Amino acid sequence: MRSRAYPFYFASGALALYLLFYVIPSIMGFYYAFTDWNSYTTEVNFIGLENFRVIFTSGASQNYMHFVRNTIVFTIATILLKTIIALGLAVLLTHGIHRLAYFHRVVMYLPAVLPMLVVSLVFKSILNPATGLLNTTLRSVGLDFMAQRWLVDVAWAMPSVIGVDTWRGVGYIMVILIAGLQAIPREYYEAAAIDGASGWASFRRITLPLLLPVLTVTTVLNLLYGLKVFDIVFVLTNGGPGRATDTVYTAIFDEFSKGRYGVATTLSTLLFLIMIVLGYFVIRLMHRDVEE
Amino acid sequence: MKQVAILVSLFVLSVLLVAGCTAAQPGAPAAEGGAPAEEGQITLTYMASQGWIKDAELELAKKFEEETGIHIDYQIIPADQYFSVLKTKLNSGEATDIFGGQSGKTDLQVQYDVEKNAVDLSDQEWVSRHDPLSLDMVSLNGKVYGIEIWDTIASNYFIVVYNKNIFAQQGLTAPSTYAEFKDICLALKDAGINPIYEPISDGWHHVLWFPMVGPRFEELNPGLAERLNKNEVKFAETPVMVEAMTQLKELYDLGCFGDNALSDAFADANAKLASGEYAMAVTTLTAPVSIEADYPDTPAQTFGFFPMPLVDNRLAPAHPAGPSKFIYSGSKHIEEAKQYLAFLAAPENLQYLLDNTSEFADLNFSGLTAKWTPEQQEFLDTYPAKSIVYQDAVNYLNPQWMDIGKDMVAMFTGAMTPEEVLVSIDQRRADMAKTANDPAWAQ
Repeated sequence: MRSRAYPFYFASGALALYLLFYVIPSIMGFYYAFTDWNSYTTEVNFIGLENFRVIFTSGASQNYMHFVRNTIVFTIATILLKTIIALGLAVLLTHGIHRLAYFHRVVMYLPAVLPMLVVSLVFKSILNPATGLLNTTLRSVGLDFMAQRWLVDVAWAMPSVIGVDTWRGVGYIMVILIAGLQAIPREYYEAAAIDGASGWASFRRITLPLLLPVLTVTTVLNLLYGLKVFDIVFVLTNGGPGRATDTVYTAIFDEFSKGRYGVATTLSTLLFLIMIVLGYFVIRLMHRDVEE
Repeated sequence: MKQVAILVSLFVLSVLLVAGCTAAQPGAPAAEGGAPAEEGQITLTYMASQGWIKDAELELAKKFEEETGIHIDYQIIPADQYFSVLKTKLNSGEATDIFGGQSGKTDLQVQYDVEKNAVDLSDQEWVSRHDPLSLDMVSLNGKVYGIEIWDTIASNYFIVVYNKNIFAQQGLTAPSTYAEFKDICLALKDAGINPIYEPISDGWHHVLWFPMVGPRFEELNPGLAERLNKNEVKFAETPVMVEAMTQLKELYDLGCFGDNALSDAFADANAKLASGEYAMAVTTLTAPVSIEADYPDTPAQTFGFFPMPLVDNRLAPAHPAGPSKFIYSGSKHIEEAKQYLAFLAAPENLQYLLDNTSEFADLNFSGLTAKWTPEQQEFLDTYPAKSIVYQDAVNYLNPQWMDIGKDMVAMFTGAMTPEEVLVSIDQRRADMAKTANDPAWAQ
């Protein structure tokens, strides 16, 4: 490691840009979290932990902890759903179905190619309680009791958003897992089959352990994606009904558009800390499993 | 030492590189947004919220281009995102040459900061012909900053439009109290007719129910608006406001707004009224005329009007604030923009706009010929307009319109109580007042 092929200053140009556009703004962001920066005056005053106090002791309409909770619920639910469904599909399309496997993979991956805005607008129409495709279909086959007010019912809005996001994101995770599955040598399965291992046993003893590094990657990707979710919520429900599906980033957007930049920056700082802590622990946890 | 010198010079070079990229901007073509501008032609960009620009105005813009060679590039933004986009553009110094905005003193000062962002138009010729109430709404500290070309009666009075045929079939008449109104809703529901089309999904429409009955609040508590502005009383401490909010919640809970209100959109209101699927909707005096234009089988005289009857309101909602046009102080084409506003305000062009816009029955400029229908005239004669609505009269209320909307949806779905909605309005007023350094909120 000591003998470098190139002198350090070769990296300095990139380093300068990195400092200018990533490190310095981030540090400035931390600073602004402790100020009353807003759109109404040009003055920026240091106000200590006041913004954090606002966030942790907020009232019924601006319940920031509720937004944090929503974000975490969304993140955990989408991680579990996407990983389980994508793993199932990946195994199915690698070891199960061979006819037209590539075609199926493309079809499953397709939603990931669509812009989130398009997906959201399409689903907004599909999930309309009165005129939407989903409820119309359910009613036409006599399943009226299953027709819900998907996006406007407090109880159903979050599950609906999670469902739409899973539909869109599962193909992407599946493709990564397929790549991981194909890297597992076939000999292991042949050896296991000779030893009389069942399909479930070889999945549990071979596939899962060897896929763990890939699963770590997808989990971290899903985690970071889930924590910073914005567009799908913004278009599907705009945080509604009321504020039932507001997440941290829709709240940040809200605060920014109200001109309360200080509070908005505090929220994003807080989310940044949560991301770092959770990301670190997820990687540590899964790496330890690999080493064992 | 040599390494440090190289490092520093590389850093400086990269900064210069970045600076060079931004400095290259002035050479960019003047036309934006794919406008079909010829070379050398001036293009004025104009950003407005959906619904603010009428087709007749687009025609006038074409005529203006023919006369002067100045092209107007309209950028229409969906209503629910408009103010976020506008404020972002104003704050980042990238606003369009002309920008639309809702008038009213709080909006001018707090939302758009017109003293910094807009051009003083006090010396324009049309100022003397502008309706004084409207002119006051686009003025701040004695200077005129905008022009409000709008029908402040027909398009601004949000009142209940009801289907007279349905009412006659059910033996119902226009209510004069809230109790009567509630009975009408229940009777219609029993007869299998949806009482009121209330499009909540847009986020703004259901809010109308509250500040639009401001004249009634004022009638019951003379001087209330002024005391609210002096911070001597709060919304949540005013029983009549709690009562109004509670009644609205009751209407929702009784199912008066139909099953799909949370997903309904205002764009469908005319269709729903025309089809008779709904007996009433909160909309404008000109809605029946627009309905007749779109659905010739449903003549305008099918519909009658009465004010929103919460807390027994019988007053018409005078509402001089409306969509207005401001010239951005950072524009490179201020003179051309003034020229365009003067063109729009020319009497013959105002009359053209009035005659060719079905939603307008009159405009807020002197010397024009109005076109009231007998039903509209009857409403104006029956229900007096004693004072202006609360989004105009009370500071820090209009800018939080969409937030109130969210809170009210939370109230409808049971996440908040009517009192909590009002407390939340008070909280946001205090936040805005403090950041605007309002002395009434100084501790």
